[in-house]
Amino acid sequence: MNHTDIPWYRTPNASLLIRRSALAAAILLIWYTALAMAQNASQPTNSNTPSSIRATHLLGFEGAPSNASGTLSIQDDSLQFQKNGKPAVQIKIASVQDVFVGEQSRQVGGTAMTLGKAAAPFGGGRVVSLFAHKNYDTLSLEYVDANGALHGSIFELDKGQAEAFRNELAAKGAHVSNSDQQAKQSNAEVRNENK
Amino acid sequence: MKTSKGISLFGFAAVIMMMGIAAKCSTTTDSSSGPQWSVQVDKVDPGDVNLAASFQIAIYENLVDELGKTKRFKQVFRDGDRNASAVSDLLILKRTVQKYAPGSETQRAVTTFSGATKLTVRSQLVTRDGQVILERTVDGNVRFMGGNLRATHNLARNVAKGITQSSLQVPSQSVPAQSGQRSGASTKLVRSQSGAS
Repeated sequence: MNHTDIPWYRTPNASLLIRRSALAAAILLIWYTALAMAQNASQPTNSNTPSSIRATHLLGFEGAPSNASGTLSIQDDSLQFQKNGKPAVQIKIASVQDVFVGEQSRQVGGTAMTLGKAAAPFGGGRVVSLFAHKNYDTLSLEYVDANGALHGSIFELDKGQAEAFRNELAAKGAHVSNSDQQAKQSNAEVRNENK
Repeated sequence: MKTSKGISLFGFAAVIMMMGIAAKCSTTTDSSSGPQWSVQVDKVDPGDVNLAASFQIAIYENLVDELGKTKRFKQVFRDGDRNASAVSDLLILKRTVQKYAPGSETQRAVTTFSGATKLTVRSQLVTRDGQVILERTVDGNVRFMGGNLRATHNLARNVAKGITQSSLQVPSQSVPAQSGQRSGASTKLVRSQSGAS
């Protein structure tokens, strides 16, 4: 009759389960953070002059698939993008009407990471999101085709590479306006939404 | 008793099905009677808003894509296309950015309730002589998942959807300015406050 109620979380099984979940969350958190930091550390910060750089084509470059990784390069008087193992597509640099440089911050890891974050217990996924982002440069081009029709395309480059590439395009004869600094500021991720 | 109940249920279902088919037919008629116009997509006018160049370009490109998918127009021309000058029945799609909140993907991922990227654009379909055929204010937002540029894709889809759902006049007729918004549209299409008279 001296029976006393033991809360469910004090029972040996529940206590063990909670401790294990917390440990799993902590391991997951440390692993994701290390991964994100390694990715940030590996990105080049120096802006050497590239004529061929790794880039992700987001949209607009005619003939190239969207969200495709490949190589963006300057070949004589042409700007070309080649997706890995696919034929290159190119435009004349003289047809480029303007080049803009911007910045973007993106969550890394894709779908797998998103699912992992959603599955992490105790809101651990949100903490991971704080660190699992990477800054990119965006290179936006406006160019015209043979009919004079305006096209726009956007590439995502590693941080610090877009400015150098833009300068090289300008040196090769692309028209570049001075409005890109303004664009760069406005394109940067805004941390304070209350402005 | 059971039989009569079953029959009435069947009748009710049949009526609902017929209503659905009728609604679908009317939409199809609107769309199929549409392709007399061609459209030229102008560059985005950022207005007073400090909109990044990448966003302007993304809106433009996504809209050219989405309008092509609607099959509502004979041809979709880009800004400056010389071939468009030879086309008689041409509408020009103009867009002016009204509001833009850049948002943050990281903030969205961490909080899930803040950091939304919001874009509001006024779009106008005008004839060569400046007559407004259709005018709408359209939103494109990213609230939960996806990068900031996804807002431009959502915006373009909403603009194209709005045009698809509206009834445009036959090109040769005199065209009064109007906006043919269908009530009950699933996208958030807001009739412009300064809409054409």
